[in-house]
Amino acid sequence: MSEPSAVKTRSVSPPLRAPALSEIFRALLEADFTVQLRNNRALLLSFALPVVVLYALFASPAFKRAIVLGDPEFKVAAALTLGMASIAILGYSMTVARDREKGVFQRLRVTPAPTWVIMASRLLVQVAANLATALVVLVAAHLFVGYTVFQNADSNSPGLEDYLVAYLLTFICVIFSSALFLSVGQALAGLVQSADTLNAVGRIAYLPLFALGLFGQSTVFGTTFELISRWSPGGTVETLLSGAMNPASWNSDTWLALAASTVYTVVFAGIGIRWFQWGAR
Amino acid sequence: MTSEAPPVTGLALQVKDLHVSYGAKRAVDGVSLDINEGEIFGLLGPNGAGKTSTLSAIEGLVKPTSGSILIRQVDARAHPGLAKALIGVQLQSTSFQSELKISEIVKLYAGLYGVPLTKPAIVERLTEIHLGDEASRRFSQLSGGQQKRLSLLIATVHDPPLVLLDEPTSGLDPQARRQLWDRIEGIRKSGRSILLTTHSMEEAQSVCDRVAIMDNGKILTVDTPAGLIEKHKDDPNVLAVARGQVTLEDVFIGLTGREVRE
Repeated sequence: MSEPSAVKTRSVSPPLRAPALSEIFRALLEADFTVQLRNNRALLLSFALPVVVLYALFASPAFKRAIVLGDPEFKVAAALTLGMASIAILGYSMTVARDREKGVFQRLRVTPAPTWVIMASRLLVQVAANLATALVVLVAAHLFVGYTVFQNADSNSPGLEDYLVAYLLTFICVIFSSALFLSVGQALAGLVQSADTLNAVGRIAYLPLFALGLFGQSTVFGTTFELISRWSPGGTVETLLSGAMNPASWNSDTWLALAASTVYTVVFAGIGIRWFQWGAR
Repeated sequence: MTSEAPPVTGLALQVKDLHVSYGAKRAVDGVSLDINEGEIFGLLGPNGAGKTSTLSAIEGLVKPTSGSILIRQVDARAHPGLAKALIGVQLQSTSFQSELKISEIVKLYAGLYGVPLTKPAIVERLTEIHLGDEASRRFSQLSGGQQKRLSLLIATVHDPPLVLLDEPTSGLDPQARRQLWDRIEGIRKSGRSILLTTHSMEEAQSVCDRVAIMDNGKILTVDTPAGLIEKHKDDPNVLAVARGQVTLEDVFIGLTGREVRE
C-alpha cells in the first residue's frame, strides 16, 4: 500500500454536538459573499448593466430625444429595477439551477445546515447585492445629471432630514423590490429544472417581468398598454421606487404598488417553495 | 431538541426495517443493519439495488417511508441536526461552489459543523492529504484522485464517529485507489466506523470487515468476506457462475443474477 505514513489519524472526540444556527449561518454567508464577489456575470448584471441603461436614459442625446418614459425618479427607478430583475432572473436563478445540477445543494444538505438556512443565506447575499446596486445607481445618476432624491419635490428646498428619509425609504423599497424579483427567480428555479432551459426561459420571462414595466408612465402604446405595464411586476416596482425617491409624491398609487408587489412576492415565493427540487432529477 | 450525542454504546449505526419509496417504486424494502464502533461495513449490490437510497436515507437526503435509523443512539429522523453532526458523508459525485478555492471549501464545511479552523490549520489538513500546495486552486482544477481525497477530508473535517462513503474509489486508477484505501483504514484506526458502498469485490475484500449483499431493496446476506464465501460456496447458483475456486464475486453474481442492470 502506498504512502501509509502519510495517513495521519485523529482520535474521535465525543461528545459531538449539533452546531449552533449562528455558526452555520456565518459559514454560509461568508462563502456565499465570496461566490457573489467572484461571479463576473453577477457583477456585470449588478453594476454595469443598470449604469449603462441609466446613462442611456439620462445622458445619451439620442435617447433624450427619442424616449419620453417619465420623470427623473421613474428613469432612475427603471435602471434600478433592471439591475434587480437581472440579478434575480438571470443571475440568482441560474446559479441555483447550476448548483443543483452539479450537486452542490445535496452536499450542503448532508451537513447539519437546515435547508431554509442554506437558501436564506443565498437570498440575503442577493438582497445585499441589490442594495449595493441601488447605491451605485444613485451615485451614477448624481454624476451623470446631478440627480438627487427629492429633486422634483413640491416642497421648497427640502432639508437634510427630508433627504435622509427619502434615501432610507428608497433602500427599504429596494429590499421589498428585491424580495419580489428574487421570489420570481426562485419560482423559475422551482419550475424549470435544467440550467440551460432556465437560461432561455429567464430571458423570455424578462420581457413581461421587467421590460413591460418600462412603459408604466408612458402612453406611447395606448392607455390599456400603459395600465398593464404599470401593474406588471416591473411596473409596480418602478412606481414603488419612484415614490420612495420622492416621498412628497407618495400617493395611493404608491401604496397600491406596495400591496401589489407584496402579493406578487407571496405568490411567486409560494410557487418557488412548492415546486423547488434540491437535487437534479 | 437533543443537542449532544449520548454516550457510546458499541453500535455506531442501527437501521431497522427501513423502507424508502419513490412513488410506486420501492427502492429500499425492509433493510436492517448494525454497524459496530470501529468497523468498516460494505454494501455491495448491482445498479439499482438500493445501496445509494439506503445511504441517502441515513444521510437525511430522502425521507424513509418507515423504519428507524439510530446513529450512536440518536434518532436520525427525530433529531436530524444532531444526527448529521455525528456523520461524515462522501457522496457518489461531489461538487462544490466553483468560485471557491479549496481552502475556502474546507473552511465552509468545517464551519457548518461548528469547527472553527484557522488558515494554518486548514493548510495543515490539506498538507496531510498532499494538497497543501493546491490550497488556492478550485475544485474543478484538481485531478480525480485529488478530488476524492478532498471530499474525504471534508467528510471527516469534524471528526465524526461514523463516515458514509458512496462508491469512494469509483473512477480512480489503481494507485489512487490504494491510496484511498490507506486513508479509509486510517479513519478506522482513529476509532471511527465506516459504511461504504462499492461495486468492487477487491475493495470489499481488502477494506471491509463485514459485507452485506443487497438486491431489489433487500439485504440478501451479511457476513465477513471470507464468511460469505464459506456460507455460499455450495449454493447451486454460486457454483453455476464459479470458475474454479469460489470467490466473493461468484457469491455476488450467484445471489444477484447474471443480468446487466441499468
